[in-house]
Amino acid sequence: MKMTRMRPSILLGLAFAALALFILLPFVQTVLLSFTLTLPREGYREGQATLINYATVFARPDLRDAIWNSLVYVLLNVALCLAAGLPAAYAIARFRFTGDRHILFALIAFRLTPPVVLSLPIFILFAHVGLVNSPVGIALVHCVFNLPIAIWILESFIAAVPREFDETCFLDGHSFGHFFVGKLIPVIAPGIGVTVFFCFIFSWVEVVFARILTVTEGKPITMAISALFGFQTDIGLVMAMTVVSLIPGVAMIWFVRNHIARGFVIRT
Amino acid sequence: MIKPHSNRAWLLLLPALLILGFVAVLPLVAVFNYSFHDIFTLDTALWVGPQWYLEIIRDPSFWASLGRSALFSAIVLSIQVPLGIWIALLMLRIGRWAVPVLMMLALPLVVPWNMIAGMWLTLIDPQVGLLGKAIAAAGIGFDYKFTALHTWILIVAADTWHWLGLVVILSYASLSAIPASYRQAAAIDGASRLAVFRHIELPRIAGALSIVLLLRFVDSFMIYTEAFTINAGGPQGATTFISLELGEDIRSFTYGRAAARAMLDFLIVLSVAWAFIRIRAGRDTSPETTR
Repeated sequence: MKMTRMRPSILLGLAFAALALFILLPFVQTVLLSFTLTLPREGYREGQATLINYATVFARPDLRDAIWNSLVYVLLNVALCLAAGLPAAYAIARFRFTGDRHILFALIAFRLTPPVVLSLPIFILFAHVGLVNSPVGIALVHCVFNLPIAIWILESFIAAVPREFDETCFLDGHSFGHFFVGKLIPVIAPGIGVTVFFCFIFSWVEVVFARILTVTEGKPITMAISALFGFQTDIGLVMAMTVVSLIPGVAMIWFVRNHIARGFVIRT
Repeated sequence: MIKPHSNRAWLLLLPALLILGFVAVLPLVAVFNYSFHDIFTLDTALWVGPQWYLEIIRDPSFWASLGRSALFSAIVLSIQVPLGIWIALLMLRIGRWAVPVLMMLALPLVVPWNMIAGMWLTLIDPQVGLLGKAIAAAGIGFDYKFTALHTWILIVAADTWHWLGLVVILSYASLSAIPASYRQAAAIDGASRLAVFRHIELPRIAGALSIVLLLRFVDSFMIYTEAFTINAGGPQGATTFISLELGEDIRSFTYGRAAARAMLDFLIVLSVAWAFIRIRAGRDTSPETTR
């Protein structure tokens, strides 16, 4: 980066200030309101600064459960995507095989399938096999878009490892399983981090499937927030819940901050 | 590097294919089947042939929503892609500051989709919103509920806020992978900034860019949650996109028609993606771009 470092100009600073304003303003608004009393309450003045909204979030069992429900299916989804995605990505990165180009197009097609299109049959199918109201159901269905993403990212990281690396390990007498878990996975750890990041956030923020698959119980955090809207919405509480819903995602951003810019190249 | 040919690779793909078969292929086959039936309850379905398809394509409102979705995608792509590439290029000049900027740009990606609209509606609320109060103080009437243009502006702004980070992350990732010597050589040759972008940077980011274009096209073309939360397709249908029409059919329990509509939407998305990939593949045959 040495070559391209120039004297930071005022214009450059202004451009990034404008960008920061655009991106951060909605967050500033949200955080401000989450610390504001927005519904009149006994002994308090409306509009005053308060921690009540956050206290309410953690005091209400429905809101606490929603955070837990979301975490369970998101983590389950990440585990599924890694377990199925790693061998698939290895196969695509290392071998040519009959129908490989069709597989790549199929993966793109699955990622591009709009959730609204699938929502109805998914519900009927999952009702038949008892996966409605279960975190397993949501974790499975989020694979429609997350598994292709996981395979793309992992494939580009595995392809960047020279094949001599695999061959040396096999010559040393390691079995395939031992090589995969003990040797390859540590080498592509940053890629796994980026994969976990994208799978985590896309599952965490998804609404359409999460709504139709939780009829009576297992409501995720997104539905808990929607349920807070009513005749007299406590917007401060809504914003506090929104801020809480951002915490896992922000933590994920922090963990992958140095690897997020490692590109993933998708070949078709 | 030539990869060895081995059909045992299919074994490694098996777990992924089983999952995708269950959650994607099976439901798609089911939708295809429903789309030829009139479904009263799930036990009594009546074969109607292509009746739903004919009904939909003869309905002018379908074509109107299709036009609105296409227009929305065109606006979104023509704003977000150039803006995202431009920001990524600027980020090359700020050294290690690029990491905090990337982190900031990734923030909107972690917001639950139903709260994207919620946060923006609060922001422009004339009573409590920072922006809403500023707009009101400036004497500008902004009425997203009843003025179609304002609803459009709000949805485009919220969508750009939401997805700009993804465009920047993917563009920056491939731009920062270009060896410094390439640009040095161009600088010695006295190449203009535009020439450097056209002949050095653009070919290098073409791969990442094509996936950005594809993802942004599909997700904007089928925008649902944000548009529905902001104005439910209003005012007077001015923001009724094809996905909102589909959602309407599902909610009114006309499953047969909903399925036919879903199939049509899916086929449109798929054929655009397919055409796009064919064009890309045609360009990619030059040895320079194959690893």
